[in-house]
Amino acid sequence: MKTLDRIKSITTPFVFGVAFIALWEGAVKGFDLKPYFLAAPSKIIEQFFNNTARIWEATAVSGGNALVGLIVGTILGIAMSFILSRFRFLSQLVTPLAISLNAIPIFVLVAVLNNMYSITSEIPRRFMVTLVVYFVVLVNVARGLTQVSSIQVELMRSYAASEFAILRKVRVPNAVPYLFTALKVAAPASVITAFVSEYFGGLQNGLGSRITSNIANSKNAAAWAYVLGACLLGLAFYTVSIILENLTRRGQSK
Amino acid sequence: MSAAANISAVEVNGASKIFNSGTANQVDALLDVNLTIAPGEFVSLIGPSGCGKSTLLRLIANLLEPTQGEISVNGKTSAQARLDQDYGMAFQQAGLFDWRTVSKNIELPLELKGWDKKKRESRAAEMLDLVKLQDFGNMYPWQLSGGMQQRVAIARALAAHPPLLLMDEPFGALDEMTREYMQGELLRICAETSTTVVFVTHSIPEAVYLSNRVVVMSPRPGRILEIISVNLGSKRSELTRAADGFFKSITAVREALRGTHAQHVASTAIRGAEDR
Ligand SMILES: Nc1ncnc2c1ncn2[C@@H]1O[C@H](COP(=O)(O)OP(=O)(O)OP(=O)(O)O)[C@@H](O)[C@H]1O
Ligand SMILES: [Mg+2]
Repeated sequence: MKTLDRIKSITTPFVFGVAFIALWEGAVKGFDLKPYFLAAPSKIIEQFFNNTARIWEATAVSGGNALVGLIVGTILGIAMSFILSRFRFLSQLVTPLAISLNAIPIFVLVAVLNNMYSITSEIPRRFMVTLVVYFVVLVNVARGLTQVSSIQVELMRSYAASEFAILRKVRVPNAVPYLFTALKVAAPASVITAFVSEYFGGLQNGLGSRITSNIANSKNAAAWAYVLGACLLGLAFYTVSIILENLTRRGQSK
Repeated sequence: MSAAANISAVEVNGASKIFNSGTANQVDALLDVNLTIAPGEFVSLIGPSGCGKSTLLRLIANLLEPTQGEISVNGKTSAQARLDQDYGMAFQQAGLFDWRTVSKNIELPLELKGWDKKKRESRAAEMLDLVKLQDFGNMYPWQLSGGMQQRVAIARALAAHPPLLLMDEPFGALDEMTREYMQGELLRICAETSTTVVFVTHSIPEAVYLSNRVVVMSPRPGRILEIISVNLGSKRSELTRAADGFFKSITAVREALRGTHAQHVASTAIRGAEDR
Protein backbone atom coordinates (compact mmCIF):
# COMPACT_ATOMS: atom_id res chain seq x y z
CA MET A 1 0.00 0.00 0.00
CA LYS A 2 2.74 2.43 1.09
CA THR A 3 4.85 1.92 -2.02
CA LEU A 4 1.76 2.17 -4.22
CA ASP A 5 0.96 5.54 -2.64
CA ARG A 6 4.52 6.67 -3.20
CA ILE A 7 4.51 5.63 -6.85
CA LYS A 8 1.22 7.46 -7.26
CA SER A 9 2.59 10.60 -5.65
CA ILE A 10 5.44 10.64 -8.16
CA THR A 11 3.63 9.55 -11.31
CA THR A 12 0.66 11.88 -10.98
CA PRO A 13 2.62 15.15 -11.23
CA PHE A 14 4.93 13.55 -13.79
CA VAL A 15 2.05 12.56 -16.07
CA PHE A 16 0.55 16.01 -15.59
CA GLY A 17 3.86 17.68 -16.48
CA VAL A 18 4.31 15.61 -19.63
CA ALA A 19 0.71 16.27 -20.67
CA PHE A 20 1.20 20.00 -20.13
CA ILE A 21 4.35 20.10 -22.27
CA ALA A 22 2.64 18.06 -24.98
CA LEU A 23 -0.29 20.48 -24.93
CA TRP A 24 2.13 23.45 -25.18
CA GLU A 25 3.97 21.85 -28.10
CA GLY A 26 0.64 21.02 -29.76
CA ALA A 27 -0.67 24.57 -29.29
CA VAL A 28 2.44 26.16 -30.78
CA LYS A 29 2.36 23.79 -33.76
CA GLY A 30 -1.41 23.68 -34.17
CA PHE A 31 -2.03 27.44 -34.03
CA ASP A 32 1.26 28.11 -35.79
CA LEU A 33 2.37 30.54 -33.05
CA LYS A 34 5.35 32.70 -34.01
CA PRO A 35 8.57 31.94 -32.05
CA TYR A 36 8.77 35.55 -30.78
CA PHE A 37 5.31 35.04 -29.22
CA LEU A 38 5.79 31.61 -27.66
CA ALA A 39 8.61 29.16 -28.32
CA ALA A 40 7.85 25.44 -28.66
CA PRO A 41 9.25 23.17 -25.93
CA SER A 42 11.16 21.20 -28.54
CA LYS A 43 12.91 24.41 -29.70
CA ILE A 44 13.67 25.35 -26.08
CA ILE A 45 15.23 21.96 -25.39
CA GLU A 46 17.22 22.25 -28.58
CA GLN A 47 18.51 25.69 -27.56
CA PHE A 48 19.24 24.36 -24.11
CA PHE A 49 21.47 21.60 -25.40
CA ASN A 50 23.10 23.83 -28.03
CA ASN A 51 24.09 26.34 -25.36
CA THR A 52 24.83 24.13 -22.35
CA ALA A 53 28.29 25.62 -21.82
CA ARG A 54 27.02 29.23 -21.75
CA ILE A 55 23.96 28.38 -19.73
CA TRP A 56 26.15 26.53 -17.28
CA GLU A 57 28.45 29.53 -17.00
CA ALA A 58 25.58 31.89 -16.27
CA THR A 59 24.05 29.38 -13.85
CA ALA A 60 27.35 29.13 -12.02
CA VAL A 61 27.43 32.92 -11.61
CA SER A 62 23.85 33.26 -10.32
CA GLY A 63 24.12 30.03 -8.32
CA GLY A 64 27.43 31.17 -6.83
CA ASN A 65 25.94 34.48 -5.76
CA ALA A 66 22.95 32.70 -4.26
CA LEU A 67 25.14 30.17 -2.46
CA VAL A 68 27.53 32.74 -0.98
CA GLY A 69 24.59 34.86 0.20
CA LEU A 70 22.80 31.80 1.56
CA ILE A 71 25.79 30.66 3.60
CA VAL A 72 26.79 34.09 4.92
CA GLY A 73 23.15 35.02 5.64
CA THR A 74 22.54 31.76 7.47
CA ILE A 75 25.64 32.12 9.64
CA LEU A 76 24.87 35.76 10.49
CA GLY A 77 21.19 34.92 11.10
CA ILE A 78 22.07 32.10 13.50
CA ALA A 79 24.62 34.26 15.32
CA MET A 80 22.15 37.11 15.73
CA SER A 81 19.35 34.80 16.89
CA PHE A 82 21.59 33.58 19.73
CA ILE A 83 22.25 37.16 20.77
CA LEU A 84 18.53 37.98 20.58
CA SER A 85 17.51 34.96 22.66
CA ARG A 86 20.05 36.01 25.28
CA PHE A 87 18.87 39.62 25.51
CA ARG A 88 15.10 39.75 25.51
CA PHE A 89 14.85 43.54 25.15
CA LEU A 90 16.86 43.39 21.92
CA SER A 91 14.49 40.86 20.44
CA GLN A 92 11.54 43.14 21.19
CA LEU A 93 13.31 45.77 19.12
CA VAL A 94 14.59 43.65 16.28
CA THR A 95 11.91 41.00 15.70
CA PRO A 96 9.13 43.38 14.51
CA LEU A 97 11.71 45.11 12.33
CA ALA A 98 12.85 41.82 10.82
CA ILE A 99 9.28 40.70 10.16
CA SER A 100 8.30 43.97 8.48
CA LEU A 101 11.50 43.92 6.39
CA ASN A 102 10.49 40.45 5.26
CA ALA A 103 7.23 41.83 3.93
CA ILE A 104 8.79 44.45 1.62
CA PRO A 105 10.83 43.59 -1.50
CA ILE A 106 14.12 44.85 -0.12
CA PHE A 107 16.06 43.55 -3.11
CA VAL A 108 15.31 46.81 -4.89
CA LEU A 109 18.05 48.14 -2.63
CA VAL A 110 20.48 46.47 -5.00
CA ALA A 111 20.12 49.46 -7.35
CA VAL A 112 21.51 51.69 -4.61
CA LEU A 113 24.25 49.19 -3.80
CA ASN A 114 25.27 48.97 -7.47
CA ASN A 115 25.92 52.67 -7.28
CA MET A 116 28.20 52.24 -4.29
CA TYR A 117 30.39 49.52 -5.80
CA SER A 118 32.25 49.26 -9.10
CA ILE A 119 30.41 47.78 -12.09
CA THR A 120 32.51 44.60 -11.96
CA SER A 121 31.67 43.82 -8.35
CA GLU A 122 29.67 40.76 -7.30
CA ILE A 123 29.20 42.26 -3.84
CA PRO A 124 25.86 44.09 -4.35
CA ARG A 125 24.02 40.95 -5.49
CA ARG A 126 25.60 38.73 -2.84
CA PHE A 127 24.84 41.33 -0.20
CA MET A 128 21.19 41.37 -1.28
CA VAL A 129 20.90 37.59 -1.01
CA THR A 130 22.62 37.68 2.38
CA LEU A 131 20.15 40.24 3.65
CA VAL A 132 17.08 38.28 2.52
CA VAL A 133 18.40 34.99 3.93
CA TYR A 134 19.58 36.67 7.14
CA PHE A 135 16.10 37.82 8.17
CA VAL A 136 14.38 34.54 7.31
CA VAL A 137 16.93 32.57 9.35
CA LEU A 138 16.99 35.08 12.19
CA VAL A 139 13.23 35.14 12.75
CA ASN A 140 12.84 31.35 12.61
CA VAL A 141 15.86 30.32 14.67
CA ALA A 142 15.13 32.96 17.32
CA ARG A 143 11.66 31.46 17.59
CA GLY A 144 13.12 27.97 17.98
CA LEU A 145 15.48 29.14 20.70
CA THR A 146 12.80 30.90 22.74
CA GLN A 147 9.64 28.87 22.19
CA VAL A 148 10.70 25.86 24.22
CA SER A 149 8.40 23.73 26.33
CA SER A 150 8.04 25.32 29.77
CA ILE A 151 8.01 21.87 31.36
CA GLN A 152 11.38 21.07 29.84
CA VAL A 153 12.86 24.31 31.14
CA GLU A 154 11.35 23.70 34.57
CA LEU A 155 12.81 20.18 34.59
CA MET A 156 16.23 21.57 33.73
CA ARG A 157 15.96 24.07 36.56
CA SER A 158 15.02 21.23 38.89
CA TYR A 159 18.30 19.58 37.87
CA ALA A 160 20.06 22.82 38.88
CA ALA A 161 21.08 23.33 35.25
CA SER A 162 22.85 26.57 34.29
CA GLU A 163 21.46 28.88 31.60
CA PHE A 164 24.21 27.62 29.34
CA ALA A 165 23.23 23.98 29.91
CA ILE A 166 19.60 24.88 29.14
CA LEU A 167 20.78 26.55 25.93
CA ARG A 168 22.85 23.54 24.89
CA LYS A 169 20.47 20.76 25.86
CA VAL A 170 17.05 22.34 25.29
CA ARG A 171 17.09 25.52 23.21
CA VAL A 172 19.56 24.52 20.51
CA PRO A 173 18.08 21.06 19.78
CA ASN A 174 14.64 22.66 19.81
CA ALA A 175 15.78 25.25 17.24
CA VAL A 176 17.23 22.73 14.75
CA PRO A 177 13.94 21.95 12.96
CA TYR A 178 13.21 25.70 12.87
CA LEU A 179 16.53 26.26 11.10
CA PHE A 180 15.66 23.76 8.40
CA THR A 181 12.20 25.24 7.95
CA ALA A 182 13.98 28.57 7.43
CA LEU A 183 16.41 27.05 4.94
CA LYS A 184 13.54 25.51 2.98
CA VAL A 185 12.21 29.04 2.51
CA ALA A 186 15.59 30.76 2.23
CA ALA A 187 17.14 28.42 -0.38
CA PRO A 188 14.68 29.18 -3.22
CA ALA A 189 14.46 32.81 -2.05
CA SER A 190 18.25 33.14 -2.39
CA VAL A 191 18.07 32.00 -6.02
CA ILE A 192 15.18 34.34 -6.79
CA THR A 193 16.94 37.26 -5.14
CA ALA A 194 20.14 36.51 -7.06
CA PHE A 195 18.20 36.63 -10.38
CA VAL A 196 16.09 39.63 -9.68
CA SER A 197 19.11 41.58 -8.43
CA GLU A 198 20.60 41.19 -11.91
CA TYR A 199 17.77 43.26 -13.38
CA PHE A 200 18.97 46.34 -11.51
CA GLY A 201 22.24 46.84 -13.32
CA GLY A 202 25.74 45.77 -12.34
CA LEU A 203 27.57 42.82 -13.89
CA GLN A 204 25.67 41.22 -16.81
CA ASN A 205 26.93 37.65 -16.53
CA GLY A 206 24.16 35.80 -14.66
CA LEU A 207 21.02 33.94 -15.72
CA GLY A 208 18.75 36.91 -15.09
CA SER A 209 20.67 39.26 -17.36
CA ARG A 210 20.99 36.58 -20.06
CA ILE A 211 17.24 36.12 -20.08
CA THR A 212 16.65 39.87 -20.60
CA SER A 213 19.37 40.26 -23.22
CA ASN A 214 18.08 37.28 -25.24
CA ILE A 215 14.55 38.63 -25.15
CA ALA A 216 15.85 42.05 -26.23
CA ASN A 217 17.45 40.31 -29.22
CA SER A 218 14.19 38.42 -29.98
CA LYS A 219 15.90 35.12 -29.23
CA ASN A 220 12.85 33.85 -27.45
CA ALA A 221 13.72 30.15 -27.42
CA ALA A 222 17.20 30.91 -26.07
CA ALA A 223 15.68 33.08 -23.34
CA TRP A 224 13.42 30.15 -22.44
CA ALA A 225 16.45 27.88 -22.35
CA TYR A 226 17.98 30.16 -19.72
CA VAL A 227 14.66 30.12 -17.84
CA LEU A 228 14.91 26.34 -17.83
CA GLY A 229 18.40 26.68 -16.34
CA ALA A 230 17.00 28.99 -13.69
CA CYS A 231 14.26 26.46 -12.83
CA LEU A 232 16.83 23.69 -12.48
CA LEU A 233 18.99 25.87 -10.24
CA GLY A 234 16.06 26.75 -7.97
CA LEU A 235 15.06 23.08 -7.82
CA ALA A 236 18.61 22.06 -6.94
CA PHE A 237 18.75 24.50 -4.02
CA TYR A 238 15.36 23.38 -2.75
CA THR A 239 16.23 19.68 -3.08
CA VAL A 240 19.46 20.09 -1.12
CA SER A 241 17.64 21.92 1.68
CA ILE A 242 15.09 19.09 1.88
CA ILE A 243 17.78 16.40 1.88
CA LEU A 244 19.61 18.23 4.68
CA GLU A 245 16.39 18.43 6.66
CA ASN A 246 15.69 14.72 6.25
CA LEU A 247 19.21 13.82 7.31
CA THR A 248 18.83 15.63 10.61
CA ARG A 249 15.21 14.79 11.32
CA ARG A 250 15.76 11.11 12.18
CA GLY A 251 12.34 10.27 10.77
CA GLN A 252 10.51 12.27 13.40
CA SER A 253 6.78 12.51 12.81
CA LYS A 254 6.54 16.29 12.84
CA MET B 1 19.54 5.91 56.69
CA SER B 2 19.17 5.72 60.47
CA ALA B 3 20.45 9.24 60.92
CA ALA B 4 18.01 10.45 58.31
CA ALA B 5 15.11 8.95 60.23
CA ASN B 6 14.72 11.97 62.49
CA ILE B 7 15.16 14.54 59.73
CA SER B 8 11.93 15.36 57.91
CA ALA B 9 11.90 14.74 54.19
CA VAL B 10 9.94 17.96 53.70
CA GLU B 11 9.12 20.70 56.14
CA VAL B 12 6.92 23.64 55.18
CA ASN B 13 6.66 26.34 57.86
CA GLY B 14 4.10 29.11 57.53
CA ALA B 15 4.55 29.33 53.77
CA SER B 16 2.49 31.87 51.81
CA LYS B 17 2.69 32.72 48.14
CA ILE B 18 1.34 35.87 46.56
CA PHE B 19 1.76 36.30 42.80
CA ASN B 20 2.10 39.78 41.29
CA SER B 21 1.95 41.35 44.71
CA GLY B 22 0.65 44.91 44.77
CA THR B 23 -0.60 44.93 41.18
CA ALA B 24 -4.10 44.61 39.78
CA ASN B 25 -3.36 40.96 38.98
CA GLN B 26 -2.44 40.03 42.53
CA VAL B 27 -3.24 36.38 43.33
CA ASP B 28 -3.08 35.08 46.87
CA ALA B 29 -2.26 31.50 45.98
CA LEU B 30 -1.23 30.03 49.33
CA LEU B 31 -1.81 31.19 52.89
CA ASP B 32 0.15 30.01 55.91
CA VAL B 33 0.74 26.40 54.91
CA ASN B 34 2.36 24.09 57.47
CA LEU B 35 3.25 20.54 56.51
CA THR B 36 5.81 18.03 57.73
CA ILE B 37 6.50 14.87 55.76
CA ALA B 38 8.53 11.99 57.16
CA PRO B 39 11.03 10.03 55.06
CA GLY B 40 9.38 7.23 53.12
CA GLU B 41 5.94 8.74 53.47
CA PHE B 42 3.53 9.05 50.54
CA VAL B 43 1.50 12.26 50.80
CA SER B 44 -1.14 13.43 48.34
CA LEU B 45 -2.36 17.00 47.85
CA ILE B 46 -5.99 17.33 46.80
CA GLY B 47 -8.28 20.31 46.41
CA PRO B 48 -10.36 22.32 43.95
CA SER B 49 -8.71 23.60 40.79
CA GLY B 50 -6.63 26.72 41.37
CA CYS B 51 -6.21 26.13 45.11
CA GLY B 52 -2.43 26.19 44.88
CA LYS B 53 -1.42 22.50 44.76
CA SER B 54 1.06 23.00 41.94
CA THR B 55 2.29 26.17 43.60
CA LEU B 56 3.01 24.31 46.84
CA LEU B 57 4.85 21.61 44.89
CA ARG B 58 6.93 24.26 43.08
CA LEU B 59 7.76 25.90 46.38
CA ILE B 60 9.08 22.60 47.72
CA ALA B 61 11.04 22.17 44.48
CA ASN B 62 12.46 25.70 44.83
CA LEU B 63 11.18 26.55 41.37
CA LEU B 64 9.31 29.37 43.14
CA GLU B 65 10.27 31.38 46.22
CA PRO B 66 7.71 31.68 49.02
CA THR B 67 6.47 35.20 49.78
CA GLN B 68 6.61 34.25 53.43
CA GLY B 69 7.68 31.26 55.46
CA GLU B 70 10.37 28.65 55.15
CA ILE B 71 10.75 25.35 53.38
CA SER B 72 13.35 22.71 54.03
CA VAL B 73 13.98 19.47 52.20
CA ASN B 74 16.10 16.72 53.72
CA GLY B 75 17.16 19.10 56.49
CA LYS B 76 18.55 21.63 53.98
CA THR B 77 17.05 24.77 52.52
CA SER B 78 14.98 23.97 49.44
CA ALA B 79 17.49 25.94 47.34
CA GLN B 80 20.37 23.75 48.51
CA ALA B 81 18.27 20.61 48.00
CA ARG B 82 17.63 21.65 44.40
CA LEU B 83 21.33 22.25 43.78
CA ASP B 84 22.07 18.82 45.24
CA GLN B 85 19.35 17.24 43.09
CA ASP B 86 17.71 15.85 46.21
CA TYR B 87 14.40 15.41 44.43
CA GLY B 88 13.02 14.22 41.12
CA MET B 89 9.99 15.70 39.43
CA ALA B 90 7.24 14.52 37.07
CA PHE B 91 4.32 16.39 35.54
CA GLN B 92 1.01 15.65 33.82
CA GLN B 93 2.78 15.87 30.45
CA ALA B 94 5.73 13.51 30.35
CA GLY B 95 7.88 16.39 29.02
CA LEU B 96 10.31 14.04 27.30
CA PHE B 97 12.86 15.42 24.87
CA ASP B 98 11.83 14.40 21.36
CA TRP B 99 15.37 14.49 20.01
CA ARG B 100 16.70 12.08 22.64
CA THR B 101 16.14 8.36 22.80
CA VAL B 102 14.34 6.92 25.81
CA SER B 103 17.66 6.00 27.43
CA LYS B 104 19.16 9.43 26.77
CA ASN B 105 16.09 11.03 28.32
CA ILE B 106 16.63 9.03 31.49
CA GLU B 107 20.33 9.95 31.46
CA LEU B 108 19.68 13.70 31.28
CA PRO B 109 19.67 14.43 35.04
CA LEU B 110 22.78 12.28 35.39
CA GLU B 111 24.56 14.22 32.62
CA LEU B 112 23.91 17.40 34.57
CA LYS B 113 25.33 15.76 37.66
CA GLY B 114 28.50 15.13 35.68
CA TRP B 115 28.35 11.33 35.69
CA ASP B 116 30.52 9.58 33.12
CA LYS B 117 28.97 7.80 30.16
CA LYS B 118 29.38 4.25 31.40
CA LYS B 119 27.82 4.94 34.78
CA ARG B 120 24.95 6.80 33.12
CA GLU B 121 24.23 3.97 30.70
CA SER B 122 24.19 1.30 33.35
CA ARG B 123 21.89 3.40 35.55
CA ALA B 124 19.57 4.07 32.61
CA ALA B 125 19.37 0.34 31.91
CA GLU B 126 18.62 -0.29 35.58
CA MET B 127 15.82 2.32 35.53
CA LEU B 128 14.37 0.85 32.33
CA ASP B 129 14.19 -2.50 34.12
CA LEU B 130 12.46 -0.85 37.04
CA VAL B 131 9.70 0.62 34.86
CA LYS B 132 9.60 -2.54 32.71
CA LEU B 133 10.65 -0.91 29.46
CA GLN B 134 13.94 -2.73 28.99
CA ASP B 135 13.36 -3.21 25.25
CA PHE B 136 12.57 0.43 24.51
CA GLY B 137 15.82 2.20 25.40
CA ASN B 138 16.75 2.99 21.81
CA MET B 139 13.33 4.21 20.74
CA TYR B 140 12.26 7.83 20.56
CA PRO B 141 9.53 9.14 22.89
CA TRP B 142 6.98 9.64 20.11
CA GLN B 143 7.19 5.94 19.33
CA LEU B 144 5.78 5.13 22.79
CA SER B 145 2.22 5.17 24.15
CA GLY B 146 1.18 7.80 26.69
CA GLY B 147 1.46 5.39 29.60
CA MET B 148 4.91 4.25 28.49
CA GLN B 149 6.06 7.87 28.13
CA GLN B 150 4.87 8.59 31.65
CA ARG B 151 6.84 5.59 32.91
CA VAL B 152 9.94 6.98 31.19
CA ALA B 153 9.30 10.32 32.92
CA ILE B 154 9.13 8.53 36.27
CA ALA B 155 12.31 6.61 35.48
CA ARG B 156 14.01 9.90 34.63
CA ALA B 157 12.77 11.51 37.85
CA LEU B 158 14.18 8.60 39.86
CA ALA B 159 17.38 8.08 37.85
CA ALA B 160 19.66 9.88 40.30
CA HIS B 161 18.02 7.94 43.16
CA PRO B 162 16.71 11.10 44.81
CA PRO B 163 15.19 10.56 48.25
CA LEU B 164 12.16 12.66 47.27
CA LEU B 165 9.78 12.49 44.31
CA LEU B 166 7.48 15.43 43.48
CA MET B 167 4.62 14.60 41.11
CA ASP B 168 2.00 16.94 39.66
CA GLU B 169 -1.00 14.97 38.36
CA PRO B 170 1.34 12.52 36.63
CA PHE B 171 -1.46 10.15 35.64
CA GLY B 172 -4.02 12.83 34.78
CA ALA B 173 -3.81 12.24 31.04
CA LEU B 174 -4.07 8.44 31.19
CA ASP B 175 -7.11 6.23 30.75
CA GLU B 176 -8.60 4.56 33.84
CA MET B 177 -7.04 1.11 33.25
CA THR B 178 -3.55 2.42 32.56
CA ARG B 179 -3.92 4.76 35.49
CA GLU B 180 -4.67 1.97 37.97
CA TYR B 181 -1.79 -0.05 36.57
CA MET B 182 0.56 2.92 36.93
CA GLN B 183 -0.58 3.49 40.51
CA GLY B 184 0.40 -0.06 41.37
CA GLU B 185 3.73 0.38 39.60
CA LEU B 186 4.46 3.63 41.40
CA LEU B 187 3.83 2.04 44.79
CA ARG B 188 6.08 -0.89 43.90
CA ILE B 189 8.88 1.38 42.66
CA CYS B 190 8.71 3.68 45.67
CA ALA B 191 8.72 0.72 48.04
CA GLU B 192 11.75 -0.77 46.26
CA THR B 193 13.64 2.52 46.37
CA SER B 194 12.19 3.80 49.70
CA THR B 195 11.37 7.15 48.12
CA THR B 196 9.28 9.86 49.77
CA VAL B 197 6.52 11.12 47.49
CA VAL B 198 4.46 14.31 47.33
CA PHE B 199 1.71 13.66 44.83
CA VAL B 200 -0.82 16.17 43.44
CA THR B 201 -4.07 14.69 42.15
CA HIS B 202 -7.72 15.48 41.47
CA SER B 203 -8.85 11.91 42.03
CA ILE B 204 -10.00 10.94 45.52
CA PRO B 205 -9.65 7.16 45.00
CA GLU B 206 -6.17 7.70 43.57
CA ALA B 207 -5.12 9.82 46.55
CA VAL B 208 -6.48 7.27 49.02
CA TYR B 209 -5.07 4.23 47.25
CA LEU B 210 -1.57 5.65 47.11
CA SER B 211 -1.16 7.69 50.25
CA ASN B 212 -0.27 7.40 53.88
CA ARG B 213 -1.81 10.84 54.32
CA VAL B 214 -4.08 12.96 52.14
CA VAL B 215 -3.79 16.75 52.48
CA VAL B 216 -7.10 18.46 51.67
CA MET B 217 -6.79 22.08 50.60
CA SER B 218 -9.30 24.94 50.47
CA PRO B 219 -10.13 27.11 47.45
CA ARG B 220 -8.04 30.22 46.93
CA PRO B 221 -6.21 31.39 48.93
CA GLY B 222 -5.03 27.82 49.42
CA ARG B 223 -4.85 26.65 53.01
CA ILE B 224 -4.67 23.17 54.47
CA LEU B 225 -8.16 22.27 55.68
CA GLU B 226 -7.53 18.81 56.96
CA ILE B 227 -4.95 16.04 56.80
CA ILE B 228 -6.50 12.58 56.62
CA SER B 229 -4.46 9.53 57.55
CA VAL B 230 -5.18 6.46 55.47
CA ASN B 231 -4.78 3.22 57.39
CA LEU B 232 -4.59 0.60 54.69
CA GLY B 233 -1.24 -0.88 55.63
CA SER B 234 1.93 -0.62 53.64
CA LYS B 235 1.27 -3.52 51.23
CA ARG B 236 -1.49 -2.47 48.88
CA SER B 237 -2.88 -4.47 46.01
CA GLU B 238 -5.91 -4.59 43.76
CA LEU B 239 -7.76 -6.09 46.74
CA THR B 240 -7.22 -2.83 48.59
CA ARG B 241 -9.60 -1.15 46.19
CA ALA B 242 -12.41 -3.35 47.50
CA ALA B 243 -11.51 -3.05 51.18
CA ASP B 244 -13.78 -1.39 53.74
CA GLY B 245 -11.03 0.96 54.91
CA PHE B 246 -10.59 2.16 51.34
CA PHE B 247 -14.20 3.33 51.10
CA LYS B 248 -14.11 4.82 54.59
CA SER B 249 -11.10 6.92 53.68
CA ILE B 250 -12.67 7.97 50.38
CA THR B 251 -15.72 9.16 52.27
CA ALA B 252 -13.56 11.03 54.77
CA VAL B 253 -11.67 12.86 52.00
CA ARG B 254 -14.88 13.58 50.13
CA GLU B 255 -16.46 15.08 53.24
CA ALA B 256 -13.42 17.22 53.89
CA LEU B 257 -13.59 18.45 50.29
CA ARG B 258 -17.34 19.02 50.58
CA GLY B 259 -16.62 21.18 53.59
CA THR B 260 -14.52 23.31 51.31
CA HIS B 261 -17.27 23.22 48.74
CA ALA B 262 -19.91 24.31 51.27
CA GLN B 263 -17.61 27.10 52.44
CA HIS B 264 -16.97 28.15 48.87
CA VAL B 265 -20.69 28.34 48.12
CA ALA B 266 -21.32 30.17 51.40
CA SER B 267 -18.63 32.75 50.70
CA THR B 268 -19.89 33.43 47.19
CA ALA B 269 -23.41 33.70 48.60
CA ILE B 270 -22.22 36.31 51.08
CA ARG B 271 -20.37 38.17 48.37
CA GLY B 272 -23.51 38.05 46.28
CA ALA B 273 -25.48 39.50 49.20
CA GLU B 274 -22.93 42.28 49.64
CA ASP B 275 -23.23 43.13 45.97
CA ARG B 276 -26.93 43.70 46.40
N1 LIG C 1 3.29 32.17 37.71
C1 LIG C 1 2.10 32.60 38.14
N2 LIG C 1 1.77 33.90 38.06
C2 LIG C 1 0.58 34.34 38.49
N3 LIG C 1 -0.37 33.56 39.04
C3 LIG C 1 -0.11 32.26 39.15
C4 LIG C 1 1.14 31.70 38.71
N4 LIG C 1 1.11 30.36 38.92
C5 LIG C 1 -0.09 30.10 39.49
N5 LIG C 1 -0.82 31.23 39.63
C6 LIG C 1 -2.15 31.33 40.23
O1 LIG C 1 -2.10 30.74 41.51
C7 LIG C 1 -3.29 30.00 41.77
C8 LIG C 1 -2.93 28.59 42.14
O2 LIG C 1 -2.40 27.95 40.98
P1 LIG C 1 -1.96 26.43 40.98
O3 LIG C 1 -1.45 26.14 39.63
O4 LIG C 1 -1.05 26.19 42.12
O5 LIG C 1 -3.32 25.68 41.22
P2 LIG C 1 -3.62 24.13 41.25
O6 LIG C 1 -4.20 23.81 42.57
O7 LIG C 1 -2.44 23.37 40.83
O8 LIG C 1 -4.76 24.02 40.16
P3 LIG C 1 -5.08 22.80 39.18
O9 LIG C 1 -5.72 21.77 40.01
O10 LIG C 1 -6.03 23.38 38.21
O11 LIG C 1 -3.79 22.37 38.58
C9 LIG C 1 -4.15 30.11 40.53
O12 LIG C 1 -5.13 31.08 40.75
C10 LIG C 1 -3.18 30.55 39.46
O13 LIG C 1 -3.85 31.37 38.54
MG1 LIG D 1 -1.89 22.24 39.08
